[in-house]
Amino acid sequence: MLTTPSKKQPMLFFPEFRNWESAWALEALYVVAYEIRILAERADRELAFNGKSPEKLKGAGSFLMKVFGVLAGKGPKRVGALYVTCQLFKIYFKLGTVNLCRSVIRSIETARIFDFEEFPKRDKVTYMYYTGRLEVFNENFPAADHKLSYALMHCHPHNEANIRMILKYLIPVKLSIGVLPKDWLLEKYGLVEYNNVIQALKRGDLRLLREALEEHEDRFLRSGVFLVLEKLELQVYQRLLKKIYIIQKQRDPSKAHQMKLEVIVKALKWLEIDMDLDEVECIVAILIYKNLVKGYFAHKSKVVVLSKQDPFPKLNSKPVNS
Amino acid sequence: MQASDVRPLPVLEDTLAYLLNLLDSTDHPFEVVHDFIFDRTRSIRQDLSMQNIVDDKSIYMYEKMVKFHVISHLKLQRCGSSPNISSVHYLNMEQLTKALTSLYNLYDANRDSSTVYRNEAEFRSLYVLLHLDSNSQPMGESLSLWFHCVPHPIIRSKEMCFARSVLRFYQMGNYVRFFSTISAEASYLQYCILELYMSKVRALSLSYINNAGYKLHPYPLVHLSKLLKMKESDLEVLCNACGLETCADEMENKLLPTKQTTFCCPKEGFQSYNFMGLEQFER
Repeated sequence: MLTTPSKKQPMLFFPEFRNWESAWALEALYVVAYEIRILAERADRELAFNGKSPEKLKGAGSFLMKVFGVLAGKGPKRVGALYVTCQLFKIYFKLGTVNLCRSVIRSIETARIFDFEEFPKRDKVTYMYYTGRLEVFNENFPAADHKLSYALMHCHPHNEANIRMILKYLIPVKLSIGVLPKDWLLEKYGLVEYNNVIQALKRGDLRLLREALEEHEDRFLRSGVFLVLEKLELQVYQRLLKKIYIIQKQRDPSKAHQMKLEVIVKALKWLEIDMDLDEVECIVAILIYKNLVKGYFAHKSKVVVLSKQDPFPKLNSKPVNS
Repeated sequence: MQASDVRPLPVLEDTLAYLLNLLDSTDHPFEVVHDFIFDRTRSIRQDLSMQNIVDDKSIYMYEKMVKFHVISHLKLQRCGSSPNISSVHYLNMEQLTKALTSLYNLYDANRDSSTVYRNEAEFRSLYVLLHLDSNSQPMGESLSLWFHCVPHPIIRSKEMCFARSVLRFYQMGNYVRFFSTISAEASYLQYCILELYMSKVRALSLSYINNAGYKLHPYPLVHLSKLLKMKESDLEVLCNACGLETCADEMENKLLPTKQTTFCCPKEGFQSYNFMGLEQFER
């Protein structure tokens, strides 16, 4: 039973550590940092179980910030700063106080003391994973892609659990910029919740996308990717219109570039989705505005006229225009 | 601190009831009424927090105070555009978010009892509506993270589903469903928060139509005004405010010619227009 998580031990070790000029005790510091987080988590669980307010993890966070401060100097100890940063990330993510990550990130990324390449690989991967996740929450897809891809590339290929965690966030990001993962990837790492989302994108099946989001709503909300996946609707609409275009082209190539809004309404009705002409016109206008469709709509004739060249431009790894 | 410095709960409750009664008074301009109630409700909140009153009664009081700030959020906007008003508006938003955060903490703290707070779903939905714009985060946390901590029954509630639909339509730019959904389902409080987004969505619809519409088919304003739930005359004013010209056909129907190059959102922001179909909220 933990009544006072060992705050005493690090309090004895730490001031001594501060005074040592070389970095010989870094490995010991890593152990202390790790243990303090784990013990604080356990202590909080116990406190909550006994109906008391869980504050130990928060305290561990404050302590580690001080440790970070000591490491963020010019000496050889600075190489340990990223490890402590990652412990802080884990604490803040667990507590939900993710905005506290900002100040640490600023120190790492803008202070001239640190050369990112100097840090151990393991810490760099963890760091990029967490900062990548933050970019996902803020919907900065190019930045999220860059960071999570880095983490994936440098992660040990046998560490399947970690690869799975990275992919869980990288996949929605890639989907948002129009890149679809291969089926074997989802199967190998057990990410079946994305199966139907990807099928919907391939087929232009709006109903399937909505069903997939509803089926895994809790999971997606918990991991924070739900809103990202919801936005894929526009790409699904694009795909649906493209399919209609292809069918029209097979029937009568000379008239294929003109699509009656009524036909789109019918296609959606087949998917059991009720949309009136006004809403379809609105969606078409959005698709054209955001460059997912090239052409124009004629209100009086209730028709979309597609450009004869490349009417459905690909995203090319860029997010949908806002 | 002496006993006489602190007001007992029944006194606080009576004070709050008296203050909120003043909201409907027409003897004074709204800014004056708002100012009076603003200071006094803040001191009530300080009293509650000092005395550590964190039970049901506190919840009901906080709900009423948040309601005051939400209604002020709307009414202050309509008070005109003197520089003073915009700082009053900003301060009101600050207290709105503070009070709302405290209210959520109270809901969470009282979660164990079997009471279901009737208004919790609506007040939680306001958080979503305050954060429709991914660029402006008045309460600091991205929506994706926030949904983490919302209890399951609240996520499934009618009010939360409404807010999430509105979020979806807003972020996609689906002006048709944005307005039809609000018209059909918004509560008064939800409407108060949403009104400030409406002109933006309306302007966006103009930019879509202007960008994607066929040059030889100018868009009929009367039709668009119905979709945007506004008066045709107001729509004409909005077009002009966005740098767009309108024209008329032989039968004097007003039209919006497309492919105009002069579209531009007014820098001073938008005025608000009446919402056709929700006149009961226009008080």
